[in-house]
Amino acid sequence: MRLHKHAALLSAALASVLALAACTGGSGATADSGDKQVNLTVWSWDGTVAKSVAGFQAANPNITVKVVNAGSSFDEYTALDNAIQAGSGVPDLAMFEYFAVPYFAIPGKLQDLQKYGAGDLKKDYVQAAWNDVTVNGKVYALPSDYGPSAMFYNDATLKKAGLNAPPATWDEYYEDAQKIHALGANYYIAQDTGDLFFLLSLIWQAGGRPFKVSGTKVHIDFTDPATTKAVAFWQKMLDGGLLNTKVTAWSDDWNRTLNDGTLASQIMGGWLTSTLPERAPQAAGQFRVALMPQWKAGDKVGAENGGSSFGIPAAAKHKDAAYKFLEYFTHGGGVAPRVDAGAFVPNTSVLNGADAQNKANQYFGGQKVGAVLAEASTSVASGWQYPPFFEWARSIYGDIASKYYTTGKIPLAQILEEWRQRMVKYGNDQGFQVD
Amino acid sequence: MGKRGRKQVGLAFIAPFASLFLLVYVVPIGYAAYLSLFRQRLIGGNTFIGVDNYRKLVQDPQFWDGVSRVFRFTLIQVPIMLVLAMVLALALDSRRLHGTGFARVSIFLPYAVPAVVSTLMWGFLLGVKYGLFGSLDTAAGTGLDPFTPHTTLISIGVMVTWAFTGFNMLIFYAVLKAVPHDLYEAAALDGASELQVVRRIKLPALRGSLIIVIIFSIIGTFQMFNEPQILPSMVANSGITTYYTPNLYAYHLAFTGSQQGYAASLALVMAAITIVVAYAVQIRGLRNAFDH
Repeated sequence: MRLHKHAALLSAALASVLALAACTGGSGATADSGDKQVNLTVWSWDGTVAKSVAGFQAANPNITVKVVNAGSSFDEYTALDNAIQAGSGVPDLAMFEYFAVPYFAIPGKLQDLQKYGAGDLKKDYVQAAWNDVTVNGKVYALPSDYGPSAMFYNDATLKKAGLNAPPATWDEYYEDAQKIHALGANYYIAQDTGDLFFLLSLIWQAGGRPFKVSGTKVHIDFTDPATTKAVAFWQKMLDGGLLNTKVTAWSDDWNRTLNDGTLASQIMGGWLTSTLPERAPQAAGQFRVALMPQWKAGDKVGAENGGSSFGIPAAAKHKDAAYKFLEYFTHGGGVAPRVDAGAFVPNTSVLNGADAQNKANQYFGGQKVGAVLAEASTSVASGWQYPPFFEWARSIYGDIASKYYTTGKIPLAQILEEWRQRMVKYGNDQGFQVD
Repeated sequence: MGKRGRKQVGLAFIAPFASLFLLVYVVPIGYAAYLSLFRQRLIGGNTFIGVDNYRKLVQDPQFWDGVSRVFRFTLIQVPIMLVLAMVLALALDSRRLHGTGFARVSIFLPYAVPAVVSTLMWGFLLGVKYGLFGSLDTAAGTGLDPFTPHTTLISIGVMVTWAFTGFNMLIFYAVLKAVPHDLYEAAALDGASELQVVRRIKLPALRGSLIIVIIFSIIGTFQMFNEPQILPSMVANSGITTYYTPNLYAYHLAFTGSQQGYAASLALVMAAITIVVAYAVQIRGLRNAFDH
């Protein structure tokens, strides 16, 4: 759910105050009265979690659930780290983006959920999502929402460029990019100002696995053939001037290019479905969703761009009750009200259900968007790993990448190499064995 | 006996201030100093490392990059802002303008706008593609971009100048208001021109406050944080790095890098640098004041 993260960044100063406030607020909520009445504290910036509380409390009258927004993404992680360090105010459940699970799991800050029977739930989730919550063979969280990478394209713009279908392969994508740019200097097939998550999803789909994590050992390599292929392709797009490198995602400029049709497509997580109608109301009926273009014609390989899960901190007070609620809202009866409220979950029963498959979305010209995103989810290639210090790593990626996007002098491959070197240095400083 | 009693009464009077000062000022600094002797690691936890953080810091090119940036910024932005503020204060004090009350408030108003809000506002104003600046730029065909790595600092300078000129002007204006009127009358009797009054009476009167204002401004710019923290989410590739200013670097080290000890040592070194610079300005300013 990176969109929330960006909103938070805008008022980072404010948000950190909020995180502090939430931190102190949480400490009072874990009191246990001893007569088996349990008060659970849940940290979540996913608003749909609260929708499943009523049903859970009705079935479990001795458990009271309090859902608290302790900040989004890294604000929450900071608050959680502080609470763990202080030894008080630790929530019973907390939300983690998939890339943050190893950060908490490897230093032992998360509870292994296998003893509660979480291992049996594997078959009920998309394989790649399950892989995201599994670290070194142990299950540390349950997936709560998912971001399969998908291509959102403006059908009207494509038609204007003489294209009747979205590009099915990356070769077609390159050709289409030229046709779209031929419509006018402001027309581009996509924007990119150094979007790390997009680049990683491109590498992911191509089969590159640049991070290999085993215990506290991390191996980073951006030179394997699949990664090189993906990076070289995007380099070709950049060198050809086929991408809008002036307009950054989530900015006001971006909204405008989405509205006026000059931005022909955007490859992003499926969660863009929920925010696109607000961002581009004038383009209502023009956008469609498709799978990512493929490296080989006829293939159906996807990648991931975002998504989150919930885990139980090792220092939590009410782990049994916490797991009960966790199972309920990510797997059991609590999933349905969350889906109704707009959550996109990686549970196979939901993805294959009649509702997701058949519902027409008017904003997308009546397309059955759910069916496309379900296919995008189930086709996500598995085996991807994030290093445990990814939150830090992604924050400094822009330091290096912005040199390319403003001067064009340094190739992407070199950016990734510099990034690797800084990760190696930081990781070893932090006590990991990184090479 | 009586003397001692009076002393204790005095202590009681400063106690409310002293206890708060200790609690919110001395104790946190002491704690930061304590933290700066430790290293936090994701694997291995907290270890005492003595002054290693400081040793690492003086060899950290990213830290010095940020320090040199705020120095350059201060050297250029502060004089421009203070000259502007002084000119405005003199203009308001000249009694030849109409609507000075309104002008005073509206020049001061930007100071009351929170930096987060003003950065957002300027981000929109200076937006290359659709902002006001972008529209003017397209109309004139100049192809300027206020947010490239070479121009971002200038844009931030504009924002900061906009925000703080009014505040500094108000200080200057208050000082000018306090100049006794008989001085002006005497000058008028001696046949001094308006310019001579400014040179001989008003500017010398401003000298003391100038030093205070320079010190405030140096402290303010050395602590620059909001603008470089917010801008990257609005404009692409503005050249703002995670170590753009020392304060921003400390924030990233502590909250994304979980290197609180290192961040604490950075904060203390930066505080020391600021104190040295502010002190140098003060000594130099006082010496000048005595010379005249």
